Amino acid sequence: MKKQLFQLDRRTFMAGLATSVALPGAIGLSAGSAFAEAQTPKRGGTLTTVAWPGTTYMNAAITTSGPESFLSPKFFDGLLGYDFGMVEKPALATEWSIAEDGKRVTFKLRPGVKWHDGEAFTSKDVAFTFMEVLKVHHGRGRSLFADLQAVETPDDLTAVFVLGKPAPAMLKALDGRESPILPAHIYAGTNIMENPANTKPIGTGAFRLASYERGASVVMERNPDYWDEGKPYLDRIILQYIPDASTRTAMLEAGQADIVFLNFLPALDTLRLAAMPDFELVEAGYETSASNQQMDFNLEREIFKDARVRHAIAHAIDRQWIVDNVWHGFGVAGASPLHHDQRAFYTTEGVPQYALDLAKAEALLDEAGHPRGANGVRFELTIDPTPYGDESLTAAEYIREQFRQIGIQLNIRTQDYAVFIKRCWTDRDFDLCLYTAAMGADPTIGVQRFYWSKNFKPGVAFSNGSSYSNPEVDALLEASQVELDPDKRREQFAKFQQIAMTDLPTLPVVHTTRATIGWQKVKDHTVDALGSLGNLANCWIDG
Amino acid sequence: MTVGSQSLIVRLLRHPSGLVGLLLIALAVGMALGAGFFFPAGPWTMAGPPRLWPGQNAAFLLGTDSLGRDLAAGLFHGSRVSLAVGASAAVVSILIGTVVGSLSGYYGGWLDDVLMRLTDAMQTIPSFLSAIAIVGIVGPSLPTIIFAIAIVSWPMIARLVRAEFLRLRTYDFVQSCRIIGMSDMRIIFTQILPNCLAPIIVASSVLVATAIIVEASLSFLGLGDPNAMSWGTILGNGRAALRTAWYMTAIPATALVLTVLALNLVGDALNDVLNPRLKERS
Repeated sequence: MKKQLFQLDRRTFMAGLATSVALPGAIGLSAGSAFAEAQTPKRGGTLTTVAWPGTTYMNAAITTSGPESFLSPKFFDGLLGYDFGMVEKPALATEWSIAEDGKRVTFKLRPGVKWHDGEAFTSKDVAFTFMEVLKVHHGRGRSLFADLQAVETPDDLTAVFVLGKPAPAMLKALDGRESPILPAHIYAGTNIMENPANTKPIGTGAFRLASYERGASVVMERNPDYWDEGKPYLDRIILQYIPDASTRTAMLEAGQADIVFLNFLPALDTLRLAAMPDFELVEAGYETSASNQQMDFNLEREIFKDARVRHAIAHAIDRQWIVDNVWHGFGVAGASPLHHDQRAFYTTEGVPQYALDLAKAEALLDEAGHPRGANGVRFELTIDPTPYGDESLTAAEYIREQFRQIGIQLNIRTQDYAVFIKRCWTDRDFDLCLYTAAMGADPTIGVQRFYWSKNFKPGVAFSNGSSYSNPEVDALLEASQVELDPDKRREQFAKFQQIAMTDLPTLPVVHTTRATIGWQKVKDHTVDALGSLGNLANCWIDG
Repeated sequence: MTVGSQSLIVRLLRHPSGLVGLLLIALAVGMALGAGFFFPAGPWTMAGPPRLWPGQNAAFLLGTDSLGRDLAAGLFHGSRVSLAVGASAAVVSILIGTVVGSLSGYYGGWLDDVLMRLTDAMQTIPSFLSAIAIVGIVGPSLPTIIFAIAIVSWPMIARLVRAEFLRLRTYDFVQSCRIIGMSDMRIIFTQILPNCLAPIIVASSVLVATAIIVEASLSFLGLGDPNAMSWGTILGNGRAALRTAWYMTAIPATALVLTVLALNLVGDALNDVLNPRLKERS
């Protein structure tokens, strides 16, 4: 029966393929095709997708964890959306303007927007959400909105953000995933973390919650009163939580799921399916969750105080090899502390690069006073790869072999996630620490924390783990926090990238890319920088 | 019961499953001993292009894994770790089990009660789960893994030895030893224990097989020693590529199956050979 279904689908798709610009198997090229075709969207249909792990809440205003990040934008809108390249576009706010001094940001809100329960959306909701929820309960919001002193509401459709100092990064964090707007009439005066609406969302978003079975599934249905006329196109989105990655692959292959977002399939399975004509791989639409795999040198260790040792290690690791064989092509060789999706600021111009050169690595180590001993070993190090996913452990196995060739004996230490976090950021009992972390929609949000000396905070995970301190870098990072001129800000980050890659307290290993793999019939799921982490209002099913 | 080692081997070889089992074990031990000779670069060297299928390149007969490591080298060096862990864990659990079982069976009384309740308690804990827990808490390294496996598998030996002691301690030769004033320890270790070696030997072959499987399962789950390549490590590494390159899991899995099968065959054969009532059949 499965086979019949498959053939039927295949026939339908062959017809569609004739007009499609997507070349099956041409992974790099197919990225644009989902949104490049000018077909008329069809209304109706159900989109089924799978993910893991299950969610705790339904809104991402009170948590930064992954499952909520995906769900929240379906139920809730943000003030802004983002086109490719993180260019702001209207959502709940239709216009916005920044005062000369950068300390007042005025948002004109969209009229006629209703909450799912029929109440009208007003500027009170905006003020409440930022002042009482995001500033207090959101992991990144606490620091991002630290200088937000008040949200003034001169009328129902105007919200004015009053800032202690300019905050250019803030404008990149106002979407429904990062800063969803919650209804004040439901949350005001309640214990926000305990509010039942956290699992029974009432938003302004394109979809409403139809049913939720904890740890098993979330069913969303179309919001007929959505402010974006005629959207969403889908009647329903069904999200099933499936713990086993191979089962997720099998479900997509059998047509029990239409699409899988956020790399929820093993990389090799994704590539195998992408090579089939019925499936399409899209690597765009993850700009707000750009992540780097990086390796911290513990600069408190005597041996790493010499930059030559750090440079030698960088010369011994072929980052492209790790991209190809550990990430199976889903990434770009690490070349900057930023991520390449931070397009406005990312640069490799004038930024020192460390090409694979074992002879040079050995020369640098000799020069630094670490000759090979009688057994060929110069010194011994331990690496702690994060137990989150396999990629860090596998990359560590590769690094160990590279180190062996330049006379460094590397031991790999594995442990559970809690012990790993405690060892690297609290006890600081490590030499090298390898992990993947989000770089944020803006470098101030995600990158600064690893390099700013004031963020060397033992006890805080994913802070400045190398204990790097360079006054020049601190000055650049602090200036970029409040710089309103985009060109000056770009210069500051360019200089920062040059210095950070010269000092090399942290080695960027891979700028990872994420992928969506789905049946060809699913159209327009990735239409902007937010992709599947947006509201999927433009998504439709052909056939 | 006094069986010369010479004739034991000969009788094992005459036993059909004993012969097959011994040959397979000899092969595995041969691989372990020859690993350094055939693959001096070790199992971790990324010697070739990644994901090479078996037979695709004459230099890598069994192909390479997703990091370009020679699977044949992994298989040979992995046999060292797998067999060593299996044997050491079995020895440790036999030691613990024998001591507990013999004391319990010989003395009886409150000591028996205490030790047997302890054994009961250990047996109620699912052994694989507690191995995971121990490795998770202490941290994965070969000694920890050996300790974890031994800690969960000794109760079986303890029960076996206790049963034998309960039977043998009433026999006349034990009574006569007591009468001539032999010390308890001497009776236990020189008189009774040699007479219950047969079931211990049979059980130990199964124990080694179980230990190898537990180690492989731990490594498969990523709880193995990251600095030691065992068959389970290769299995675990190949898991992600199961649909695209099944040989990465099939090759170490075959080695595991054959080794465990061989140990069970030898166990069966030993049971037949050492059981006096079945002597005619062997």
